Amino acid sequence: MGSIESEDSCSTSAFMELAIQEAKNALERLEVPVGCVIVENKKVIASGSNRTNETRNATRHAEMEAIDSLLQQWQQDGLSQSDLAKRFSKCVLYVTCEPCIMCAAALSYVGIKEVYYGCANDKFGGCGSILSLHNTSSEYSNLVEGKGYKCTGGILASEAVSLFQTFYERGNPKAPKPHRTVVQS
Amino acid sequence: MTLKKGLKSKVLILDVRMVNSNWEIIHIPGKPSYPPTQQPTVSVFASVIDPKLANTLVRKLNNIAPLENLRHVKRVRKSCVDGKTQLSVILCLTDENGTDLDSMAIELLELITCYQLSPFVTQVCKYAATTKEEWEEQGKLWPTSFHPPTYNIDGITGFSEEDSKVVFDYMNFVLKLAKSASCQLVNAAVIVDPSVNQIITSGCDEISSWNVNLDDNEVRSLGTDEASICHGVANGSSSLMFNLDGLPDDPRASCSRISCLNPWQWSLSPPLSSTSCFWHPLRHAAMVAIEYSSSRDRRLYPSIGETDERSTQLDSNVTSTVGFPAKRQKTNLTNVNNTDDAPADRVLSKPERPYLCTGYDIYLAWEPCAMCAMALVHQRVRRIFYAFPNPNAGALGSVYRLQGEKSLNHHYAVFQVKLHDEESTAVTNDGIVK
Repeated sequence: MGSIESEDSCSTSAFMELAIQEAKNALERLEVPVGCVIVENKKVIASGSNRTNETRNATRHAEMEAIDSLLQQWQQDGLSQSDLAKRFSKCVLYVTCEPCIMCAAALSYVGIKEVYYGCANDKFGGCGSILSLHNTSSEYSNLVEGKGYKCTGGILASEAVSLFQTFYERGNPKAPKPHRTVVQS
Repeated sequence: MTLKKGLKSKVLILDVRMVNSNWEIIHIPGKPSYPPTQQPTVSVFASVIDPKLANTLVRKLNNIAPLENLRHVKRVRKSCVDGKTQLSVILCLTDENGTDLDSMAIELLELITCYQLSPFVTQVCKYAATTKEEWEEQGKLWPTSFHPPTYNIDGITGFSEEDSKVVFDYMNFVLKLAKSASCQLVNAAVIVDPSVNQIITSGCDEISSWNVNLDDNEVRSLGTDEASICHGVANGSSSLMFNLDGLPDDPRASCSRISCLNPWQWSLSPPLSSTSCFWHPLRHAAMVAIEYSSSRDRRLYPSIGETDERSTQLDSNVTSTVGFPAKRQKTNLTNVNNTDDAPADRVLSKPERPYLCTGYDIYLAWEPCAMCAMALVHQRVRRIFYAFPNPNAGALGSVYRLQGEKSLNHHYAVFQVKLHDEESTAVTNDGIVK
């Protein structure tokens, strides 16, 4: 996490604004408000927001949505696996909340170049909070080097947090009722 | 499809060499297991205190330096020195780098000065005890509290013979899936509702080929089942076996495509000639099975109050989760305001609609990677059974141990179903079908 040049910092928050807009879209659809955009050469090439309630598939996080849309787009363009890996290695993800362990691993598997996130995720975070999957090193794979990526948090974090607050004040309509008590361990 | 009726006879035909008595179900706990006398410890600063100050100090310390990750450790130790009761209190954890007092928070240093405490360094056990034996050993260092494991999960401390048999049968089934496709081994997953002994769905890795035209995955999973039977029968006794490391005995078979073992390797796959299928580096077996089970859920339990149009839209997404999110309709806002009434739709729907995979078990050939293991937390799976460990990237004990990450909002129980030596050589009709 080095210091950010002022021009870059400007475009970083501009891209994060777009991610926040995606999160707002999710909020309107009664989803947990997380959104993201994927940027290649300073251009947004994909976006995504949470669809876990709609799909009843709790893995449909914003990051997975955006990755899937890129995979489809690029395969329709006839790119091969190795072409696709090259493209991912030039992509930067802007996401409103620190990727969870699942998404942090997925981002490493596809070989993303860099991640900027808004607020930290102190329950599930996979980019430093609980695990540090962005620092994956080759010791975990003897066949192909595990791919790490640069990760910077705290971009427009308070906006991301206030969206969560709005959501939880309303109550998650799809959570089981009554809420199960958290397992004490 | 229940195993009892449908599957067992097929399993018999497929592979008569799998023998129950040579399998073993091993619980993989949330923390590595250590002998009671060798439990990991952490260093803390503590100080002897005047017993009259105990309440005041403990209250202040809980504010200034709460022991967040050491909740099992008691703040105060009572000991007997020269016939007198002596109280000591934990001030805080020591700095990672050493035991320099300067690393303490200023408030703590002030407290030390104010009450003239004399800090010393001591050891406390890092993890809560899971057995009485562990707890007794822990108390020799510094007192801890002991709560017997709170997993409210049947079978965590042992499986009845009948339960074990069910587990072995499903594990057999998932191993068939793992090797049924071709000479290439893949990871496979079967999601089961143990309360009715029913397969909810199954899936295999779909990294290198993903048929987007699958309309009905239940038909598909049955199809795979049939395919595996044909394959097994055709191969007869030479059907592919696994050795103890989870590697195939048959050297022609390759492990290189098993998603969770080599999750970074997809980009090295040779280009595919076929254009009829997509490939997807993240479609690991567990992810595929979760998707199938959620699409089954949407199909069997359409939400009341959602329009037909919306249900149709959901169904059309089943075949391709890579739809473009931007095109999606906004939810009707009149529903938004009625969230308080939401329980009504659950009361009305019959039979009771499942919440994600709550109460379900998943069987996997290989220990899942971090992505899949976390996906199974998100989807609220109750128990995970796998046959082979994943030393490169496994997240249930090999590299990470998600079942022991306390901050997660859901915890499953994890078991390895281990194959023993004789398994690969035994040839018998016994065991699987009785």
